[in-house]
Amino acid sequence: MKTGIQSWLDERFGLSIITKFLKEKTVPQHKHSIWYYTGSAILLFFTIQIITGFMLVFYYKPTLEGANESVARIMTEVPLGWIIRSVHSWSASFMIAFVLIHLLSTWLAKSYRKPRELTWMSGVFLLVFSLLSGFTGYLLPWDDLSLSATKVGTDIPRSIPLAGVWVTKFLRGGEDVTGDTLTRFFGFHVSIIPVFIFILLGVHIYLIQKQGMSLPLSAELKKEKVKEIPFWPNFVYREMIVWLLLLGILFSLAIFFPPSLDKAADLMAPAPEGIRPEWYFLFLFQTLKILPAKILFLPGDTLAVLLILVAGIVFFFLPLIDNKPAERKGKIITITALVLIVYAVAMTVWSLL
Amino acid sequence: MKLKHSLFTRRQFLNGLLGGWLGALLASFLYPVIKFVFPPTREPDQVILPFADFRDMNTVSVKNFLWGTKPGILKKKNDGSYLAFVGVCTHLDCNVSYLEEQRKFFCACHDGWYDENGLNIGGPPPKPLRRLLVSIEGEDLIIKREGGERAEDQ
Ligand code: HEM
Ligand code: FES
Repeated sequence: MKTGIQSWLDERFGLSIITKFLKEKTVPQHKHSIWYYTGSAILLFFTIQIITGFMLVFYYKPTLEGANESVARIMTEVPLGWIIRSVHSWSASFMIAFVLIHLLSTWLAKSYRKPRELTWMSGVFLLVFSLLSGFTGYLLPWDDLSLSATKVGTDIPRSIPLAGVWVTKFLRGGEDVTGDTLTRFFGFHVSIIPVFIFILLGVHIYLIQKQGMSLPLSAELKKEKVKEIPFWPNFVYREMIVWLLLLGILFSLAIFFPPSLDKAADLMAPAPEGIRPEWYFLFLFQTLKILPAKILFLPGDTLAVLLILVAGIVFFFLPLIDNKPAERKGKIITITALVLIVYAVAMTVWSLL
Repeated sequence: MKLKHSLFTRRQFLNGLLGGWLGALLASFLYPVIKFVFPPTREPDQVILPFADFRDMNTVSVKNFLWGTKPGILKKKNDGSYLAFVGVCTHLDCNVSYLEEQRKFFCACHDGWYDENGLNIGGPPPKPLRRLLVSIEGEDLIIKREGGERAEDQ
């Protein structure tokens, strides 16, 4: 049944193409369907980031003199400011966590196989921008921890041959981390990165609508008929249940464990003991810590950076490399994924000891 | 000499011309963007400090000074001469601290160690702390870059 307004709008926008599509869209039902919910969970947290981010921007001051103080004010004076900051901080962690789960599930299920290569590749960029968003946001409270983390993080690209020095200078807005870096990171965090995420999301989600959800490899090989449920309303209602659960967990954590704030960073002070990046960079942090100063003829961190660079490129092109998913090569790639997970978890745990 | 067949069609020629022109136009837009994004930052050639502030310092502790946007560390040796360092770890750029009892520089970021002469002796740092040249002229303590090196080459 169409109301007058609906048909008036439809005449102008032609929205019925979209509503018709959504009515006919189906989602496969099988024992791995649970991973289909991870993407929309990321969307949920991303939306929360946008809303709470808009609110924080009303009070935050991206300058050397004002940053730390303005965050302190949000935490103590602004009505309910502490909850908003806490939700923003927790939801960032949740978003990254779900990006990682989502990525691992599509990797292990090999849902990037033909024709979904570009979905994966746009996903790799989404991963990069999600991590960058977390990294730039970490500096904004401008306390000792965030300063050291930023100094280290922005110095890492320096060892990339040729371009590295320029990457570091671009990120820092100069040779060193200064007030200019803070202002620049603010720009990255609140405008540049979100715009890129929006564009990439558009591509990612368009591709998923165009191609439909992938089936498990086993079902596809056996040409089994897989049960399907309508996307609207059946699947969306299930997603909403997941969202409500996640929101409950998010708000509970945000209320009981608000993020801390140290005194304002001093650019000239020595790095404090116990510095530590956000949890999703801990594996990298620990790796940098244990690599010796020199490995063969290369400095340890140069080697690490080159490895990350090569791994990143391989990771991006993975759908093209993993082109025979059911054969030996495909199995080796799955095992590699598992080994990397074990490595990352082990390093993370070690860094916390 | 006149070729029997032309090497490319008129359309290809014009497309090439147009493409080249568009490319050049784009480059001329990109150049100022790139210039804009990298602010000029040069580290100082030298800093001049009042010697009076450092004359009486002991050989156990160190004193800090500003080396452009980096912390500088001044240390007095037993023979009365001075050593100056850029107080920034050669691993990944954290500011180092001087531990008096152990007579060592320490970087908390990844547990890097340097001896009192700035030599890297433990942990990930690949190089000694960067040295600066110290000279005393009348009432001035002058700290200079070592032999024309630039920070970018580090
Ligand atoms: C901001 C981050 C991201 C958002 C918001 C997002 C969103 C989504 C959504 C809503 C779906 C459909 C439902 C689902 O399968 O869960 C999806 C599918 C997919 N995503 Fe993402 N994604 C993100 C990051 C990534 C990353 C980092 C990768 C991998 C590198 C990736 C790879 C894929 C693939 C291959 C599919 C297709 C799955 C299939 O058809 O079975 N995505 N994404
Ligand atoms: S930055 Fe000093 S040890 Fe890594």
